[in-house]
Amino acid sequence: MIQVRAQIRDRELHGAVHILHLHAPDLARQLHPGQAVLIQTGWYVDPFLRRTFYPVAIDDAGFAIRLAPDADRGRAWLRMAPQGAEIDILGPVGRGYALPERTRRILCLGQGDAAWTLLPLVHAASAQGLGVALAMEASTKRQTIPPRDLPITVEYHVATLDGSAGRRGDLRPLLPDLLRWADAVMAAGSLDFYHVLARMIEDARMILPRDYAQALYQTDFLCGFGACQACAADVAGGRRRVCLRGPVFDLVDILR
Amino acid sequence: MLNLAPRNKLGLVIDSPLLAGSGAVGYGDAWPPGLRPEDFGAIITAPVSAAPRKGRPQPRLTEIPGGFLLDTGGHNPGFRRLAASQIRTWRRLPTPVILALAGGEPGDRAWMAAHLEPLEDVIAGVELSVSEDVNLGETAAFIAAVRRATPLPILARLPVTRATYLARTAIVAGADALIVGTPPPASYPASQTLIEAPLSGPAAFPFTLRALSLLAELDLDSPIIAAGGVYSLDDALLCLEMGASAVAIRGLVWRDPAAARRLAINIRPFMPEMEGVESDEG
Ligand code: FES
Repeated sequence: MIQVRAQIRDRELHGAVHILHLHAPDLARQLHPGQAVLIQTGWYVDPFLRRTFYPVAIDDAGFAIRLAPDADRGRAWLRMAPQGAEIDILGPVGRGYALPERTRRILCLGQGDAAWTLLPLVHAASAQGLGVALAMEASTKRQTIPPRDLPITVEYHVATLDGSAGRRGDLRPLLPDLLRWADAVMAAGSLDFYHVLARMIEDARMILPRDYAQALYQTDFLCGFGACQACAADVAGGRRRVCLRGPVFDLVDILR
Repeated sequence: MLNLAPRNKLGLVIDSPLLAGSGAVGYGDAWPPGLRPEDFGAIITAPVSAAPRKGRPQPRLTEIPGGFLLDTGGHNPGFRRLAASQIRTWRRLPTPVILALAGGEPGDRAWMAAHLEPLEDVIAGVELSVSEDVNLGETAAFIAAVRRATPLPILARLPVTRATYLARTAIVAGADALIVGTPPPASYPASQTLIEAPLSGPAAFPFTLRALSLLAELDLDSPIIAAGGVYSLDDALLCLEMGASAVAIRGLVWRDPAAARRLAINIRPFMPEMEGVESDEG
């Protein structure tokens, strides 16, 4: 983990959603898909807590975070921060997704805003020449990842609850085929989503084996280095600090 | 050099007036980038209880104006496991380690203190937190029980709102120094539940200052460590001016390790001298 001053180098607006591109090469070099960064917002000590972000893009020069509209003061400050502004960042936090050796085909499965955190992994896996499928479910089209943000080789499936993009409903009908195709699954969503996923994996592959599916346990961190115990959650057979053991876990460990 | 336990045979000598407060660096094993053990005069661990505690499920944390509330439910691995797993870490640390002993069943803290003997060469003292709801008799009893069980220096952490009421009793019962202290408890919502915990963050600082100023009037002959809401060199210097011998930080370490490091460097020249306390500068 390092602490850096990063500059806001660009801001993309997608309706009310902001994508902030941050110049932080030192941090970007250490950052892996699924790891978190902790961003200080506001003035002096207000708001006090750093905001936790899971980057939606990583390159040599820095990374990008996504700000969906909400009532949080810290994120509102970031939405208003001008281009060129410097912000204080701690990261990377914890362990990210790890592409298993000998994997040829990975299935990235995302739900809602969390699905965006899979984008760096989708790009990294695709750049390594792996077969990548991304399937996401969202409430509406506005939440979905635009196909132009994906490498051309990626197979993309979308389901929306209101039917505004892709198939209407959730991903369940698509999963049996996708799960039979994939050597490994990388997921980002809610705990309910992971329970459904685990059942579908058991149906498609008889068991939920260890080392088959990894999932992001999305939570907010206070210190991010294991001191404060604020992030301890029931994972991996005990109450454990997510900033040290996660935030990406084997799916088996998230459900235990 | 400054001795935080001048009346104790073992003493507790620190070379910086800045301490890593209760659990700021976990049990001495959780370090943020840029901070090193040498930046602190001593390290106070997170509290450990006689038996392991699973602590509170999520949520544990909520932000409030000017700070945060954190309730871990006393999550810790228990005394025996902690001692076994951390003894090598503590031995390697170049900074005195103060082990915080958490309350629980009556007698738990004395039991842990009695089992500190094998750790006496790696532990420099113990911190005992006095809770909001105990009376003078109970305070005297549990501190005296720990005093009988170990010769190590005892730092009594007092609730800031009752510091003046409890201070003399804590000292008479055997405390070598006072930590002022535990900020008042507060409640705030988090994910459809209420977190109840002592105030943390800069919002706690005025309570620390008030307790310090009231204690100054008592003219106690024991070192006082200011803890709670210290976020800048100015805050720390104010505490030293008001009679504190040392200052402990925690939230600053968690939120902004670089600022904690700057404070560690900038506060060194302000090391207080205490009457009757030996200094290596003579
Ligand atoms: S965020 Fe502090 S221990 Fe995990």
